[in-house]
Amino acid sequence: MGNISGKAYALTILSPIKNGIVTGEEIAYADKVRDLLQSWNLLPNSPMTQVPQTYLCRYFVLDDVYTESLPGASVLDTFADLLPVVPDAVRRRILPKEDHLKSRYLVFSSNFHGGPAGDVDGYLRGMWNAISGQIKQVWGYCYGFDQVNDAASFVGYMKKCQLPATLFFVGANDEPLPEQLKALYLKQEFARFAVENQGLEAAVLRANYHAFITRVAPTNLSGPTWEPGQYRL
Amino acid sequence: MTKKLDLLDIQGNVLRPYGRFGYPVARYVFLHVSDGEKGRAFVGAVTKSVTTSVTWGAGPDQVPQPDWTVNIAFTYQGLKDLELPTASLIGFSSEFVAGMKNRKDILGDDGPSSPQAWDPIWRENRVTREKDVHIFISLNAHTPGLLEDSYAWLKGMIEASDGGVVLLSGHLGDNNAVMDYQDVKVVMENGLPTAKEHFGYVDGIGDPAVEGLTADPQFVLGRGKQMADGSWAPLATGEFLLGHIDEAGEYPPAPNPILLARNGTYMVYRKLHENVATFDAYLNEHGKHFPGGKELLAAKFVGRWRDNGAPLVKAPDQASKDAFDAQLAAADQQGRDALLSNFTYDDDMSGAKCPFSAHMRRINPRASLEFTRDPNDVPGSLKVSTGAFDTPGALTNRRRVLRRGLPYGDVKDRSRDDGNHGIVIMMLNADINRQFEFVQQQWINYGNDFKAGNDKEILLGNHSADERFASKAVIQVDPNSDQPPYFLSKIPRLVETRGGDYFFVPSMTALRMIASGVVDPT
Repeated sequence: MGNISGKAYALTILSPIKNGIVTGEEIAYADKVRDLLQSWNLLPNSPMTQVPQTYLCRYFVLDDVYTESLPGASVLDTFADLLPVVPDAVRRRILPKEDHLKSRYLVFSSNFHGGPAGDVDGYLRGMWNAISGQIKQVWGYCYGFDQVNDAASFVGYMKKCQLPATLFFVGANDEPLPEQLKALYLKQEFARFAVENQGLEAAVLRANYHAFITRVAPTNLSGPTWEPGQYRL
Repeated sequence: MTKKLDLLDIQGNVLRPYGRFGYPVARYVFLHVSDGEKGRAFVGAVTKSVTTSVTWGAGPDQVPQPDWTVNIAFTYQGLKDLELPTASLIGFSSEFVAGMKNRKDILGDDGPSSPQAWDPIWRENRVTREKDVHIFISLNAHTPGLLEDSYAWLKGMIEASDGGVVLLSGHLGDNNAVMDYQDVKVVMENGLPTAKEHFGYVDGIGDPAVEGLTADPQFVLGRGKQMADGSWAPLATGEFLLGHIDEAGEYPPAPNPILLARNGTYMVYRKLHENVATFDAYLNEHGKHFPGGKELLAAKFVGRWRDNGAPLVKAPDQASKDAFDAQLAAADQQGRDALLSNFTYDDDMSGAKCPFSAHMRRINPRASLEFTRDPNDVPGSLKVSTGAFDTPGALTNRRRVLRRGLPYGDVKDRSRDDGNHGIVIMMLNADINRQFEFVQQQWINYGNDFKAGNDKEILLGNHSADERFASKAVIQVDPNSDQPPYFLSKIPRLVETRGGDYFFVPSMTALRMIASGVVDPT
């Protein structure tokens, strides 16, 4: 299945945003959604850091998808195109046709640890439980979201809006997020330990290493470790 | 017929490092254009004396070597105030328009390197219009006396411009004296000129070989680009000169008309202060512990031994260095050149000889960025990756720069950092962003391309004084040995930016067009 690579899952959600104006404000619903998402940049960190098992995610508002049909390419079309006697209306009929979206879309894509079976329901429930307030704000102007009032209905709504992924890059390895955050923490701390303890006698080194291991507690995923969303010290 | 450059149309500083042509002293002067028309007249008058790249000698198509040289370049503001047409101005690259100061985040010019700590001329540049730097003029001379002659000539030209151009003061010299110019000169050792800078390294080895410039196949070895069969070819002219095909087989982006751009290039001018006391103290401290001793460690910082530039890949320890020195002493000029420049990192993919964070490997990684390791390989062991790219140097060929410039000042007291000593480096390239800025941002101040995480280049890196972000570098060892790698910890800021800007170095044709106001992009 294209949505799963190892234990990583690629979730792609496209939710149509209502066409219309926010009551009392001269702003379109879709622009309001974008505005809201951009305000997250001013927060200390993204609300998505509170959603368990999120490797990497992205929100954006899709304004339109412009598609053009292929130009006619049959022998007759070519004749019609070349012969000056062909009426203009006929000639126009074989020109490429434009197509546009009916509405603007809120796009949410997330790579998360879903286990070998790809537990989308569990992930989305976790998302609702963590940030239902923000979810209601962001999705509030989308068609059909008024039916959502709890985790179960949120999962149902999102799965209706889901698009299958065909290929995706996994920006993280297969392990659950807490494992990965701990690994990053350990790697950084160990590099520091190696630098600070360079050239010491074996006995001292051994004692220091023991203290180091006690302090960093490699098997304890709850701490000390990196926070989700942490990108530097 | 093979490609030959129009040497009479290309300014001499582009193709010649003057320091190596018998000009050990130079003076850089910066001017402001106060009046467009008079400014153009000044440019026209100076252009008559500008030194080209033509071959020096008594033969046909040669001119006698001058006692001193003159070259000229312009900032974006300068070209604007010389009243180039807007349709030409908009063709210059955005980083050239922005200028070096505004690119500080890309360049890592922070802390002691930040613009507020620059020399007054650079600090005041692009703040008020009257203090904007517009024109760069370089004078290189055989002797200090001749340099004064050239400066007197230039002063006369400025005087004769009748207020068209104004000399901008504000270069810090000895004892922080505010100077009208930036003087540079070779470092003397026991009364003899050297090719060294103030940390004691031989500098400026390995200038790129450019297509159309040299017919000597020997010169290309180690200086050009490495081909799939291991041979060397000169780098495409368009990497260093506008209006010529580059390594992508395209003309580099350039302003219109083509005559304004062709045979011209961009120049990055950077004044870099060297903290000699900090460098000595750091080297001495780690030299005490580093297996192999202080001089080998100094060589590990750069990838070359300090005394003669012997590359570590050829002379990784004292014994091989001794053998190398004997070869070097016995070699003729061509042989010396080959010994110093003709090498690859193929036998040093794990960095055991030349560390990944060494200056030379970061500035010009040659073919060493195409490396890989298999899961079962010994930890720390890397090998040449084949097949992913057309040529071994594919990741490097578009990041090369021509380096010009000389040290400035004297180290009067090695126990102090705050003397007047450093290096003025000028880098020439067709695309400042793709070449100079990329190297500065990705290879000097970041190490990911070298599988070195965020380790910075040891000498030039903008190492932080903040303990939380302390810089380190790893001196790798043979992964199959029992030796531990050596860690350089808490690397201090060894080099600080003291100013600079981005300049356009026009061809002789373009200079004449700018001077006479006939640049016509239509």
